[in-house]
Amino acid sequence: MPRNSFPALLVFLLVAAAAAIAHAGQAGPAVWTDDLTNIGQADWDRDKAAHLVERAGFGGTPEDIDSLAAMTPAEAVSALVQFQRTPDTLEAFDASPIWEMGMDPFPKSRAEAVRIARETGQSMGVAMLPEGESRRLQPVVNQFFYGLRSNAIETQRLASWWGDRMLRTTRPLEEKLTLFWHGHFSTGNTKVRDTRMMEQQNEMLRAHANGSFRDLLLGILRDPAMLVYLDNGENIKDHPNENFGRELLELFTMGVGNYTEHDIREASRAFTGWTNDVLEFEFDPDQHDFRTKTFLGETGEFNGEDIVELILAADATAEFVAAKLYRYFVRDELTDRTQAALGATLRGANYELAPLLTQIFLSRDFYSPTSVATQIKSPVHLVISTYRKLGLATLPTVPDFNGLTARLGQTLFNPPNVAGWAGGRTWVTPGSLLDRGNLFRAVLFPDTDSFYPPDRVVPGIYASVARRLEQGMNITAATQTGDAESSRLADRDEDYNTRYGGYMGYVMAFDRLIPVPRHAPDLDLAQLLAGSGARDVEAIVDHFFARFLRVTPRADERRVLVDFLRSELGSDYLAAEPAQPGDPAAEAALRGLLYLVLSMPEYQLA
Amino acid sequence: MIIKCNCSRRDFLRRGLYGIGVGAGLPTILSRTSAALTAQALGGTSMAANPDRIMVVVELSGGNDGLNTVVPFGNDEYYRVRPNLGIREPDVIKAEDGLGFHPAMVGFERLYKDGNMAVIHGCGYENPSLSHFSSMGYWHSAVPNGGDPLGWVGRLADGAYDHDAQGNVIVNIGRRQAMAVRSRHHPPLVFSDPSSLRRDGDQEEQAALAALSEARPSENSALQFLTATAQNAIESGAIVRDAAAAYHTPVDYGIGGLSGPLRRVAALVAAELPTRLYYVSYAGNSFDTHVHQADPHARLLAYTADAVNGFVEDLKRIGRAKDVAVMMFTEFGRRVEENASLGTDHGTATPMFVAGAGVTGGMYGRHPSLTDLDDGNLKMTTDFRRVYATMIDEWLGYKATAPILKGSFEPLGMFA
Repeated sequence: MPRNSFPALLVFLLVAAAAAIAHAGQAGPAVWTDDLTNIGQADWDRDKAAHLVERAGFGGTPEDIDSLAAMTPAEAVSALVQFQRTPDTLEAFDASPIWEMGMDPFPKSRAEAVRIARETGQSMGVAMLPEGESRRLQPVVNQFFYGLRSNAIETQRLASWWGDRMLRTTRPLEEKLTLFWHGHFSTGNTKVRDTRMMEQQNEMLRAHANGSFRDLLLGILRDPAMLVYLDNGENIKDHPNENFGRELLELFTMGVGNYTEHDIREASRAFTGWTNDVLEFEFDPDQHDFRTKTFLGETGEFNGEDIVELILAADATAEFVAAKLYRYFVRDELTDRTQAALGATLRGANYELAPLLTQIFLSRDFYSPTSVATQIKSPVHLVISTYRKLGLATLPTVPDFNGLTARLGQTLFNPPNVAGWAGGRTWVTPGSLLDRGNLFRAVLFPDTDSFYPPDRVVPGIYASVARRLEQGMNITAATQTGDAESSRLADRDEDYNTRYGGYMGYVMAFDRLIPVPRHAPDLDLAQLLAGSGARDVEAIVDHFFARFLRVTPRADERRVLVDFLRSELGSDYLAAEPAQPGDPAAEAALRGLLYLVLSMPEYQLA
Repeated sequence: MIIKCNCSRRDFLRRGLYGIGVGAGLPTILSRTSAALTAQALGGTSMAANPDRIMVVVELSGGNDGLNTVVPFGNDEYYRVRPNLGIREPDVIKAEDGLGFHPAMVGFERLYKDGNMAVIHGCGYENPSLSHFSSMGYWHSAVPNGGDPLGWVGRLADGAYDHDAQGNVIVNIGRRQAMAVRSRHHPPLVFSDPSSLRRDGDQEEQAALAALSEARPSENSALQFLTATAQNAIESGAIVRDAAAAYHTPVDYGIGGLSGPLRRVAALVAAELPTRLYYVSYAGNSFDTHVHQADPHARLLAYTADAVNGFVEDLKRIGRAKDVAVMMFTEFGRRVEENASLGTDHGTATPMFVAGAGVTGGMYGRHPSLTDLDDGNLKMTTDFRRVYATMIDEWLGYKATAPILKGSFEPLGMFA
């Protein structure tokens, strides 16, 4: 059964609308480009609704699109933007019990963990071995790597939970915005090393996703994951660390060219003493610089909140944030006039985001040919929107969701650096474009026998450590790389062995992490087609085009696909009464066709 | 986790919808011969003064132990902090001023003595990070303690080539795209195994996909970009496979993580691919030598030196040695003192190397002090972006380095 993704006001229209699936890709007239006037009811149709759901969410089934098309444009946009009116019925993240007593605060490095243990006899809740034992610090080093490994894998679980949420949500713009803010306020677990912090940040971004930018900004500046990511614990009055001030001005609010290096230093001083006690924001007055600062031409004893207000008072800030949202939802290029108008909306609403989002999604510009089907899907969008268009009820985990997106250059909770994902054309290289198709072959024809769950398998060099230990080698020999001579190495007297710790970290993590349930996509393409009434090969190809593509392919491409399906089916028709239930031959032919459609350059466009 | 399923749909049918299937990949059908593309020049560049010059960036991932690579054998302090791992003086390949190469690096010895190897001491940046991830990111973006959505080689491509230049401006040999080559306008050709640049699927699917991957003009510029990239992907796959098949060399590159990638670069240079920006990695965090490092580090250095020397020798053989310069970097050096597991931990400053027949060989910059340390780590003496500026300005002849490197960095005077 298809999901009912939208609060359909006019459900009774669904059946009638579904019967007449129009072809994708009809944008408004070219003169709509840069026209921020609202689209009229007379111009509202199924294509416009399909564009809206692709951009303000992650696409949807024909039924999802029909329900929006049946509304007025204002109702449709409001249903998406005012998503708090739709109840959130999805379950919270089920965290694994990986944090034990004494692990907080977690040391920044293995060297620090070892230093603490040498000074106090224990670290992270684990004691050194008594004198006389060999490798007295090994339990401490094991525990350190356990912390790293368990949080790295737990964060993959968190990313799969989020992917599942993106797929199943009835509030798609909430997740699309949360993903935007994740890239805007880029934070990576590779540095933070604490899934709890990443989850807490994700919930904070979601809570304010369509609310006030002021709340979001203050939320992120007090967010433990961000404070750790930008090392603001090291921003203290005697040694201000300019990272925080620089990223705040350059990446979060104003953009280069609107402030000076002096402003960066002064802003950083105002945020001295902003730190965290594990999962709580903490203001440390002893480390805060209370003295006078001069920032953006104003002078006073500014604290961090004052700096935020001065930043928000600048037109450049509203324009920078509005333009970045526009680029994410509409297109890469915008005129100075559009940028100024959108900035004015955001500032005029005292940085409430909903009026700006409403303006963007209702504008003729959003439905102009310059905007429609011109955006290259992010890897996460590509995978999630495919699953949504297939009507899947849960996120498939074979192939692994994070593996699919990472292969294409995007890993949730691990953006490449503070600047987030570059997006647009940088998503695509010749090789990754081929992979964008190839990975759907692994989705449509899943290879469950040779699938290795990435949350259960020791990778790389540690696999050889495991093998050598199993063969009975001592720790010194097992952790040596290379030749077989190593098996004769005498066990060394040392404080600890880092590589063995790295291996034990996996063993301990696997013991305590909740396993990711593994299942291939629950697909039945014949069933998917049954509702559409498409039975001959031409109608089936057209249905796939309408369901999956935002650009209408050329006639010669259509012919290639029709010929392919006819040849695979050995017939012009899909049998109305399958030869056997779930006819595997027909299903394989349909999956082959779908693989081709999902591999087309056209499919990369949202 | 990379899942690659080349199973045919026949196998899939036989084994049921969720079963295993393994079948052979079938040849890609091409719309054009690759020879046509090899001849195609990469026009529209402002790096036109020396149009044949090529830069090959080599990443040594994991943090190479600089002190055991360029060994300060004339400094007693070195033997005090490295009582077990220090390279004994008689073994060091002597260069000059009490410095020399690790004995495994006979390849570098040859290059250095021929005047084809520059060693740049103490490369790093202020407030160094000891995290692989952070520090490698800083070297890739060339924005230390900050970041950028694009990499420095990518920004160079954007600056130096017209945005509509066709063909492969950057080739990155590796399993994943390096952040350094992320470009706004010129998607790099990324591959490790030449056979991977193809569509999965059986013969019928391959045939259909070739027809669906043709470049075509469109009013939708994103679609035009995608179809051009799709066609380029298929053709480039054929080019790199043809180049690899056509390429035979008597030169020994040795074994290890660089010999394959550098051989692939040589094959593409020999095939006269017009690409001038190459990026290769010694992948897998190989240089992260925390435990029992003596033997593995010696192997890594031998592999690296042999491969780079072999590459330069091979270029001489095909008459292109004067046109190619190889720049080597790693994300950080190791801690000055060895650790208790006969290895070394993450550190800071470390030498860079530039090799090639056009290089003015010798030592550049000042070797960092072994006694004036920052919390047990070397203080850097050369900002790594000066080496980047040297490659961009002096070698490739692109003068506007400041927007590329987001600051002004003085070239080192390494190329005549």
